[in-house]
Amino acid sequence: MSAAWLAEIPARRLVEEGLEERVALAPGDQPLVAVGDTVEPGTALLARLRDAHVEEVDVRAPDGEALIPGSAFTALLTHRGRGDAQLEGELLAPVPNRARRWRLVTGEHRVTVGAVAGGTVTAVQPGSEIRIALGGRAVRGAFGAGQAARGPLTVVTDALGELRPGGIDVGQVGNILVVGSRIDAEALTRARAMGIRGIVVASLAGKELRDFQASERRQRAALHPAEPFAVLVLDGAGRRPLSSPLAALLAGLEGVEVAILLDPPALVFDVPDLPAPAMPEDWVRVRGGRYAGAEGRVLGLSGVRRFAGGVHLEAARVAFGEDEAVDVPLGDLERLG
Amino acid sequence: MSTTQPAFLTIDRGTATAAAGLIGHVGGRWRLLGAAAAPAEIADEALAERLRRRLAAVDPGFADDLGLASAGAAGDLVRLTCSTETPPELAVVAATDRAVAALANVAAAAGWRVRAAVVDGGDILETVAMLADRRLDGILAGVSDPPNGDERSLLAELGGLVTAAAERRPDLLVVLAGGLAGPGAKTGALLRSERPGPTVVAPAVDAQDGELLRALLDELRGGSREGRRGLAVAAGTLATVLRRRIEIVEIGQASATRIAAGWQPGTTPDIRSAVVADAALLPRGFGEDELDAILGWLTTSSDRLRVRDRLRDMSLAAWSDAAGDGALLRMAAGRAALARLRDETAAFDDLPPPDLLIAAGGCWQPAPAPAVALAVADVMRRPGVRALALDQARILAPLGTISDDRERALIITDLRDDILVPLGSVVLPGGLRGGGVAGSLTIEAGGGPVKIDLLAGGLELVDLAPGEKAALNLQFREPVDLGAHARHFAVEVVGGLAGLIVDLRGVPLRLPDRAEPRRELLAGWQGVLWEEAGR
Repeated sequence: MSAAWLAEIPARRLVEEGLEERVALAPGDQPLVAVGDTVEPGTALLARLRDAHVEEVDVRAPDGEALIPGSAFTALLTHRGRGDAQLEGELLAPVPNRARRWRLVTGEHRVTVGAVAGGTVTAVQPGSEIRIALGGRAVRGAFGAGQAARGPLTVVTDALGELRPGGIDVGQVGNILVVGSRIDAEALTRARAMGIRGIVVASLAGKELRDFQASERRQRAALHPAEPFAVLVLDGAGRRPLSSPLAALLAGLEGVEVAILLDPPALVFDVPDLPAPAMPEDWVRVRGGRYAGAEGRVLGLSGVRRFAGGVHLEAARVAFGEDEAVDVPLGDLERLG
Repeated sequence: MSTTQPAFLTIDRGTATAAAGLIGHVGGRWRLLGAAAAPAEIADEALAERLRRRLAAVDPGFADDLGLASAGAAGDLVRLTCSTETPPELAVVAATDRAVAALANVAAAAGWRVRAAVVDGGDILETVAMLADRRLDGILAGVSDPPNGDERSLLAELGGLVTAAAERRPDLLVVLAGGLAGPGAKTGALLRSERPGPTVVAPAVDAQDGELLRALLDELRGGSREGRRGLAVAAGTLATVLRRRIEIVEIGQASATRIAAGWQPGTTPDIRSAVVADAALLPRGFGEDELDAILGWLTTSSDRLRVRDRLRDMSLAAWSDAAGDGALLRMAAGRAALARLRDETAAFDDLPPPDLLIAAGGCWQPAPAPAVALAVADVMRRPGVRALALDQARILAPLGTISDDRERALIITDLRDDILVPLGSVVLPGGLRGGGVAGSLTIEAGGGPVKIDLLAGGLELVDLAPGEKAALNLQFREPVDLGAHARHFAVEVVGGLAGLIVDLRGVPLRLPDRAEPRRELLAGWQGVLWEEAGR
C-alpha cells in the first residue's frame, strides 16, 4: 500500500490509452474517411491540396439538395470555342448578392496522407480536422515537430546519449530512432534526408527546434517533398537524460512498429501485453531546477523549506544514490502515477 | 456557509497551480487556519490533508474540536471551489479594420484569446481557414447598429462567411453583435437551428463603450465557478468591507486579470474587471517582443537562447525551477506580464486611484513578499500613496463564488485580517524633476520621528512592520503629483513585509537602454528587498 503523502508529489502517467489524434484539414483538403470508419496504419485519410486557390463558379445543386460549404463539388466550366471542362473542388462560401454563384477552392496537386496509427474516426469536419480515437497505447511528449510518421523503433543511444550527424547509419533508414538526451538541427535534417522516419529525444533546445522547423518548411514547399519525418520531444528544452522507466519501456519496444503523432504529441504503439517497467513507489525524478534529470528515492515530506533566492517552497527529502539526502522542492519532482 | 459547520475549505484551481485554504469558526468568527499551494495536478484531497496534518500538529486539541484530528477527515469538509481554465479562442470577424479592432479589443478584455480577420480587402481563403480552425472555440462577428455606410455593402459577405464557418464547424459558439443580428442582415436566420453550437445575439460594440458586449463575452467564457469572475465579485465585497477603493492585478499562467472595485456608502460596489489572455505569465503567442520584455527586467546576465529555453520549460512545468535563478526569471516574467496587463487595460487609469493595490495569482506565489511589492511598484506607476498586499492564500476567488451577497460579506468581514498578506505601502510621487535632493520626509511611528532626505531617482526603504501605522510628512522643493499637485503632504500609511517604499524613480520608470547598466540598476533596487526576504 502506498504512503498517502506520496499524493502530494506530482505524478506522470508513463503509458496512456484512449488518446484521440487530431489531423488538421485546410479548406480544399478532401477527407477520404467518414465518421465510424476503422482505420489502420496506411489507410488513406485525406487528399491534401498543395496549391489551393479560389475560383468563382456557377453552381446548381442536385434536385432538392442544399449547397453546403465544405462539401465537394464539381463545376462545369464552359470555354467558348474550346469545349467544356470540369473543375473539382470544395464549396467555400457563396458570392454575395449573386444567385447560384459560389467560390470554389480548388487546385491541381493533391497528396494523399495516410494514417500512422490505427483507430476509429470520431469526427470529420471539412476544412477543419479529422479526429481518430486511437486503439493503441501512447507515451505523451512535451512537444513535437515535422509530420506524423511511422516506423520500427530503434534505440540508438543510452539515456544520456546524443546523436551526431555522422552517427546516423544507413541501416536505420525507415526507422524511428530513440536518442537519449539531445540532438541538434543538423542531425535532424540529415536523418530526414537519409530516410529516417522520426526521432524520439528527451530534450531539444529552442534554437535547434526553430532551425529544424525552418528546414522542414522549405522541404514541404518543394515539388517533391521527402517522406514524413517527425520529432517527438519527451521532456522540454533544457538538456536532461531520458528517465529510466521510459528508457526501459522504449527498450522493450525495440523493433516494434510505432507512430509519432503531433497533435497531441505522443508515441503510439499497439502492444497490449507490453509490461510497464516496475519502479519502486518511492522512485522520483527531478524535472527542473538544480538537480534536473536526477533520479532518486523520496524519503518523506520536509514541509516548507527555504531555497536559494529567499524562496520558500514545499519540499521532500530525496536520496540520490549513495549521496546524502537533500531537500528538493515538490514542484521539481515527478513520480510515476 | 453555515456556522453549524466548524470549518470549510476553499480551493482555487488554476491552470498551473492549485491553492487551498482551511477556514474554521474560532471564537465566534471565521478565521483562516492555513493555506497551501501545489502543482495543479495534485488532488484537492492531498492539499486538504496537508492542511489538516499541519493544524493537528500545531494544535491537536483544536483540530479535534473541528473534527480534523484523524487522517482523511479534511476530505469530508465542505468546499468552496473555483477554477480557471486555459482561455478559449475566439475568431473576430467584421467588415472593416476599424470595426474588427474595436471588437477584438473588447473580446481580449473578456478573457478570450483573439484572432482577427477583416472582410474588406481580406483574403477569402485565409479568412475561411481561420474561421474553421480546429483550435477555435467561437466566432464573434459584428457591425455597428445600424450598420455604417462602409459596412452596409459588406453585410452579405460577412454573413455568408459566418454561416459557411458554422457549417464547417457546427459546434462553434457564434456571437452576432450589433446590426449583424438585426433583421436586415438575416445572418441569424441562415444559421441552422439544429446545429450543436449556440448562437448568441449580442449588443453592438459601441453600446456603453463596449462594456455590455465585454460582460456578455465574459459570461460565455468559462462556467459558473470561473475563478476570475469570483475574484471580481470578492473584490467588490472586500472594497465594501474595508471601505476602501481597491485594485487587484492577477497574473496567472494562462491569463491575467485587472479588477478595480470602488466603494460608496449605501450603494452596491462599482466593479470593473478585464481578463487579458495576452498578459499571461507566458502567453500562447510568446515571441521575440515578449522575450525582450522579460530580458529587460532580468538582473542576471543570461544568454538569450538559454533564457528562452528556460521559459519554454516553465511553460511546460510552471511549478518547476522556482528557486535561485529560476525565481529571478519568474519575477522578470511576472513584471513583463504585469506591464502587458497595465498597457492592455490603460482605461483603468481613468478611474480614481486605488487605496489598496493587491497582487494575486500563481505567478507571485513562490516569491518572497518584499520582492513582490517591488515588482508591483516597478510596473504599476500611478502617482499616489497606497497600501500594497498579496493574495497569497488565494481564498478571495473561491469566496467570490458565494452567491448570497450578505453571506459573502459576513465571511469576508470575519476574514478581513487574514485574507491578504500586507506588503506595506508605497509613496510614488509623479512630476519629480532632475536629480539631487527633492525634499524631505518625516516619519512618525512608534519609535519617534525620523527625518530622511528624498533623493530624486532613488528608492527609499523604511522598516515598518505589518500592521504598524506611521504618519508621513512629505515636503518637496517643487510641486509633485501625489494624487494631488502640491509641495507638502501629510499622509498615514501602514506597514507590511516590505515596509514603506518611497519610490522617487519617476513616472514612468525609465531604465537605461544598454543591458549592463540596466541590469546593475535593477539588481541594486531588487537586491535590497531580496536580502530583506533572506533574513
